[in-house]
Amino acid sequence: MNLIVVIGTLAASATALVGAPVDYGKEIQPLLAQNCYQCHGVTQPKRGLRLDTAAFALNGGQSGPAIKPGKSSDSLLVQVISGTHKDLTRMPYKKPPLSDAQIALVRRWIDEGARAPANEVPGSKVHWAFVAPKRPEVPEIRNSQFTIRNSIDAFILARLAKEKLTPSPEADRPTLIRRLSLDLLGLPPKPAEVDAFVNDTSPDAYEKLVERLLASPHYGERWGRWWLDVARYSDSNGYSIDAPRSIWRYRDWVIAALNRDLPFDQFTIEQLAGDLLPNATLEQKVATGFHRNTQINQEGGIDKEQFRLESVVDRVNTTGAAWLGLTIGCCQCHDHKFDPLLQKEYYGLFAMLNNQDEPDLPLTTPDETKRVADIEAKVAAYITDLFKKDADVVARELKWEASMTPEQRQAMPQLWREIFDVPAAQRTDAQKLVMVTSFVENAPENKTHQAAIKKFRAEKPKVETTMVLRESAKPRRTYLHIKGDFTRDGGDVKAHFPAALHAAKAPADREPNRLDLAQWLVDDANPLTARVLVNRVWQQYFGKGLVDTENDFGTQGSLPSHPELLDWLAVEFKQPTAKPNSPAPIAYSLKGLHRLIVTSATYRQSSAARSDLARVDANNKLLARQNRLRLDAEIVRDVSLTASGLLTTTLGGPSVYPPIPNGALDLGQRKQPWPTSTGPDRYRRGLYTFHFRATPPPAMSVFDAPDGYSTCTRRIRSNTPLQALALLNDAAYFEFAEGLATRVLKEVPASDSARLEHAFRLCLARKPSAGEATRLGDLLKGELAAVTDAEAKSVKAPAGVEPKQFAAWTTVARVLLNLDETITRE
Amino acid sequence: MNQLPVNEPLLSKTRRQFFSQCGMGVGSIALASLMADKANAVAPKLVNPFAPKGGHAEAKAKRVIYLFMAGGPSQLELFDYKPKLVELNGQPIPQSYIEGKRFAFMGSSHGVKCLGTRKRFDRRGQAGTWISDMLPYTSGVADDIAVVTTCATNLFNHAPAKLFMNTGSGQFGRPSLGAWATYGIGSEANDLPGFVVLQSGPRGPRGGAVNWGSGFLPTTFQGVPLRGQGEPILNLTSPAGITAERQRRTLDAVRDLNLQRLVATGDDEINTRISAYEMAYRMQSSAPELIDISGESKATLDLYGVDPARPSFARNCLLARRLIERGTRFVQLYHTNWDSHGGPGETLEDDFPKVVKDVDQACAALVKDLKVRGLLEDTLVIWGGEFGRTPMGENRDKTGRNHHIDAFTMWFAGGGVKGGQTIGETDELGFGPAQDRCHVHDLHATILHLLGLDHLKLTFRFQGRDYRLTDVHGELIPKLLA
Repeated sequence: MNLIVVIGTLAASATALVGAPVDYGKEIQPLLAQNCYQCHGVTQPKRGLRLDTAAFALNGGQSGPAIKPGKSSDSLLVQVISGTHKDLTRMPYKKPPLSDAQIALVRRWIDEGARAPANEVPGSKVHWAFVAPKRPEVPEIRNSQFTIRNSIDAFILARLAKEKLTPSPEADRPTLIRRLSLDLLGLPPKPAEVDAFVNDTSPDAYEKLVERLLASPHYGERWGRWWLDVARYSDSNGYSIDAPRSIWRYRDWVIAALNRDLPFDQFTIEQLAGDLLPNATLEQKVATGFHRNTQINQEGGIDKEQFRLESVVDRVNTTGAAWLGLTIGCCQCHDHKFDPLLQKEYYGLFAMLNNQDEPDLPLTTPDETKRVADIEAKVAAYITDLFKKDADVVARELKWEASMTPEQRQAMPQLWREIFDVPAAQRTDAQKLVMVTSFVENAPENKTHQAAIKKFRAEKPKVETTMVLRESAKPRRTYLHIKGDFTRDGGDVKAHFPAALHAAKAPADREPNRLDLAQWLVDDANPLTARVLVNRVWQQYFGKGLVDTENDFGTQGSLPSHPELLDWLAVEFKQPTAKPNSPAPIAYSLKGLHRLIVTSATYRQSSAARSDLARVDANNKLLARQNRLRLDAEIVRDVSLTASGLLTTTLGGPSVYPPIPNGALDLGQRKQPWPTSTGPDRYRRGLYTFHFRATPPPAMSVFDAPDGYSTCTRRIRSNTPLQALALLNDAAYFEFAEGLATRVLKEVPASDSARLEHAFRLCLARKPSAGEATRLGDLLKGELAAVTDAEAKSVKAPAGVEPKQFAAWTTVARVLLNLDETITRE
Repeated sequence: MNQLPVNEPLLSKTRRQFFSQCGMGVGSIALASLMADKANAVAPKLVNPFAPKGGHAEAKAKRVIYLFMAGGPSQLELFDYKPKLVELNGQPIPQSYIEGKRFAFMGSSHGVKCLGTRKRFDRRGQAGTWISDMLPYTSGVADDIAVVTTCATNLFNHAPAKLFMNTGSGQFGRPSLGAWATYGIGSEANDLPGFVVLQSGPRGPRGGAVNWGSGFLPTTFQGVPLRGQGEPILNLTSPAGITAERQRRTLDAVRDLNLQRLVATGDDEINTRISAYEMAYRMQSSAPELIDISGESKATLDLYGVDPARPSFARNCLLARRLIERGTRFVQLYHTNWDSHGGPGETLEDDFPKVVKDVDQACAALVKDLKVRGLLEDTLVIWGGEFGRTPMGENRDKTGRNHHIDAFTMWFAGGGVKGGQTIGETDELGFGPAQDRCHVHDLHATILHLLGLDHLKLTFRFQGRDYRLTDVHGELIPKLLA
C-alpha cells in the first residue's frame, strides 16, 4: 500500500468519525452520474462495467467487482479514481480527477458497507423532472410578521425560515413602478404615472397598476422579444452571404399573440404546426415562421440537402431546449450519455420536423397575387422574345458577366450565382435565359429594355411575404445519421416519441406529424413543458430561474432551489385556481403567470444588498431580497429613447434602420444595405432594429442581444468598456441626450433644481437624493461656466434656447443616460 | 496569480465581471469615505475577468497573432510541391482518391482532372523547406517557420469551414479560439481589448461576427473589431463638439453618482461599471495612439511594405505587433480573397498572385520584426485558411482549384514552435496525408498547449456539459513543439 492510499484512508476514517453515514442517493449516485455514467452507463459500458446502480458496481465488469463493501482500499473503484491502480489508468478517463474530498466520500461510503436502496432503478427514469408535477401543499406559515400576498411567498418564506433568514422590506413606490414598467413593458414610467401611483392610497393601487400595464400593447413588445430570443429571430439569412429576409410578420404575430394572451398551449401549436390546423387561418400560417428562423446558406457550391438537414437538426434541438429544457441535441450523434434519450428517438422527433416545404407566404389578396403573376408573365414573355430573336444577346451577356468582380457576383441572387459557376459552353437554354434576364434587367447598356420592363411593372402591387412551413404532400424519408453524419445512412426511422417521456395521444394508425408533436409538447401529462416555461419566466423577474440551468432539466442540470414552488407554479399555470367573484381563470395564460409573480411580496422586495445575506446566500438563491438586473440591450435603448421624448410608439411593421456607427457593417462578406431611417422610424423601439446575423447592430450586441444563430434561453449580462463607449459616444445616444436636454428646457420653467429633478425622474422615476442633487447641480454650474464660445457655436440648440444652456444641459443629460441605475432594473 | 476559471458555473462568473486595477484610485478613496457612515453596507468585491491568469502549465507563448487567409489559399502553388501531379497534368485523378468523397460545386464546376502547378519550387533555408517562387519573402524566414502540409478539417464550404477552424465545430454557439484563450489566461492589456480582430482585402470574411464570437462564454471574451484607419473602434470618438475636458467632466460626474448608488445598494456590479467607464476613457486615447504609426521608422514601414496612406494587410501586421506590445493577448487578421476557382476575379493565373503579393512581404516582416524585438520567442504566429485547394482543376473559364479539406498547409512560428521544419507528408498527388495528419482539433490542442493551457482541462459548463474547444477530440502535435 503506498503512501497516498494510507493518507487517504486516514482522512476517510477521520471524517467517518463525525457526521451521519454517507447517503448514497444524495451524495454518491450524483457523483457517479456526473463523472462515470458517460462511459459506464446504460449504453455500451466500457469494459462491461456499469456504475448506474450500486448493484451493478458490485457485480463489476471484465476487471472484477468495482467495489468491495467495507474495504475501500481494495475496491477497484477507489484505486482507479485515486490513480493508484498498477495497470488501469486514472479515472475519469482524460478528465480532471475527482477532488480529495470526493474520493474520501466514496471511500467512506464503501467502508460503511456501500449501502444503497435495494430497488434502485438504473438510468434516470426516476429523475425528478421526468415525473409530471403534482400540485404540492402550500406551506402554512403561522403568525408571520412578514407579508404573504400569494402562495409564492409561502414557499419562499418557508425556505428562508429554515435558514433563519428574513425577507427584505417592500421597495418604495417609485422603485416599484419603474420595476414593473420595465419588466412588463420594457419602458420606464412617466413622471406623472409615478406621481399617480405614489399618491394612490387605495388598497389595490399596486394591483390596478399591474392590470393597466398588462393591458398595454407594449407588453407584447417586451415579452415578444423574450420569446424571439428562443425563436432565434433575425432579419437575415446567416452563413456567408447573409442576405436580408422578410419574416417580420412572424415577429408581429408573436407580439399580437402575447397581447391577446393566446394561451401558451395554443401559442405552441400555432407556431409549430399552425398550417396543419383544420381551416388554418393566414395568421396561423404566419405563426409557423417560428421554425423558419433557421439560417439559409446561400454560398456557392453547397449541397443544398446538407443545409436543409442542418435546419431540421436546429429545429429539433431548438424544440428540445425551448419546450422540454433538454439537451436532446446530444442525440444527433449518439445515445444521450446522461439522460434516457436514444439517438433513434432523436430521429423519431426529426421525422416529424423533416416533412415540410419552406415557402414564402404572400400576404396579399388573391386578386393582387394574380395581378402580380400577370405582370411578371408579361416581363418574362418580353425577355424570352428577345432571347429568341436577338442572336447576339447571349454573347453580350457573357461579356457583362466576365466584367464583374467576384464581389459583384457574390451580391447577385443565389440562382444566378449558381449559373455563374457553370462554364458557358455547358449551360442549358433555360440557364442561358436566366442569365439573359439578369443581364437585361441589370446591365447599364440595356436602358431601353429596362424602361419597357419598368412600364409593365408600374402597376404592380407591392407584395409582402413571410417565411412559413408547409407540410409536404410527398413524405420525406428519415434515416438515422450515423454519428450525426447525414451521408452515413443508419436505416429508416419512423416518427415516434422518446420512451422515457409521457405517451402521445396521437392516433396509433399513422405516424405522428408536426401537429402531434406540438400537442404532445403541451399535453397535460408532459412533465417538462410547464416547468421549463414557468422557470424561464421566473428567470426574467429574478435574474435566474428556480432551476438555474434553464436549458437543462436533465440529470446533469441543477436541482431546483425551490422544488415545490416550481411544481406549484407549473401546475397553477396549467390549472389555475378559480377565485371567488372572478371570471373563470384561463389555463396556460401567460398574463396570469406574470400577474401571479409580480403581485407576490417576494417580487416586491427591495433589491438592496444585505451584509447578513452576503455571507450565507451570496448568490441570493433563496430570494431574501430582489436582484438588481442590467436591462436587456433593446430596453437600454428604449429607456434612453423614452427619456429623450423622441420615442415613436408604433407597433410592428418592417424592421427599421436607426443610425449605426460607420464601419459597423464592414466585417461581413457582403456589405449590407443600411438606408438610415429618417422621421419617426429613426426612433422606434430596439426590437425593431434590423438585425443582420453576420454584422449585427453594435449597440445591441455589446449589451448581449442574442446573435440569432441558435436558440437563446437566457441572456448573459456582461459589463464592459464597449458598453460605456456605446452609451457615451454613439451618435444615436448623443441624439437622445440632446432630446432630453431640449425637453427639460422646454417642459420646465427656468429653475435649475426643478429641471434637474425632472430630468432625473425621466430617467430613474425617483427623485434625486440630496447628495445626487448637489453633484448634478455642481455639474450644471461647472458646465455653464466651462462651455467655450466655440463649443456653444457647434451645438444645434433648438429655437429659443440659449446655446450655452443647451450645451450644459446636454452634458447633464449624457451623465444621466450613462448612469448604472438608468440601465438597471432595481 | 488568479486561479484558472475551470468549471466555474456561468452564473457566479457573470456576476463578477470586468474590473481593472487602474482608474480606481480616486474611486477607492471616495468609496472608503462614503462607506464610513454606512454601517450595514456590503463591501464590494473587485474581480477582473481579464486579469492575467496562469494556465495549467508553463506557457511557451504569451500571445498569438493569427494570420487568417480567408477563402482557402492553394497549398499546391505555395508549399506542397508535387512533381507527380505536374506529370499527370490533364489526366483524370485515379478513382481511388476520390471514391466516396464529397466536394463543393459537385453539381457544376467540380473537376476530376489533375492540375499540376505551373509554379517553380525550391528548397529554402538551411532546413530546405519547399516553398514556391511566389513567396520570396516567406522563403527568407523559412528557418523560423514550421510548415504543416497535412492539415485537415471537416467542412468544405467557406462559412461553415471558417466557423470550424475558429471554434472547432460546425454548430453555431461555440466560443472561438481567441475567446477560449482570453478566458483561459486573461489579457495583459490595461487599456485595449484582450482579443482584437483586423480585416483587409476587398471584403470581410464570410460569416462575420461568429468567427470571433464568445459563444456560450461571457461576451467579455469576444473579439473586438479594430480598424487600422479612421475611428479604430466603433464609438471610440467622443461626439462632435465634445472636448476631452468635457468628456472627462462627464465621466467624473457619472463616476461620482455611480459611487453614491453603489453605497446605497451595495451591488458590486456598479463597481464593475465604474471600472468599465474608466477603461473606456483610457481606450479613447490608447486606441488612436495604437493606430498612429507615424512614429514607426521608415525602415520598419519598408520592411512590412506599409504605405501609410492606405489600409492594407501589411499595415494590419504592423498594428498586430503594436497591439501585442501593449498587452493584447490574441490578434486575428483576416485577409480576403483567397478563393481561387478559376472564374473571373478568382483565377490562379491572374488573381491569385495578387493576393499572394498582398501578404508575402508583410508576413515575413512580422516574423523578422518580432524576432528583432525579442518578441518572437513568446509570440505564436499562425498562418492559414479555412481549408486548401484540390489537386484537380475546375471546369471554369480559366485555371482554378476547388475547396479541399483532406490536406492543406498552414505555418506556425515563434512561441514554443520548432521552426525550420516541414511537418507531415502528403501522398504523391497532394490529395491526402501520407503521414502526420494534423486535424483542426489537433492544431487547437497544440495552440492551447503552447499558451500553457491543457485542452482537456480548459472547459466551460453549459447545458449540463463541460464543453472544450476540442470537444472530445484533439491530440498534441509533438513535432511542432520546440
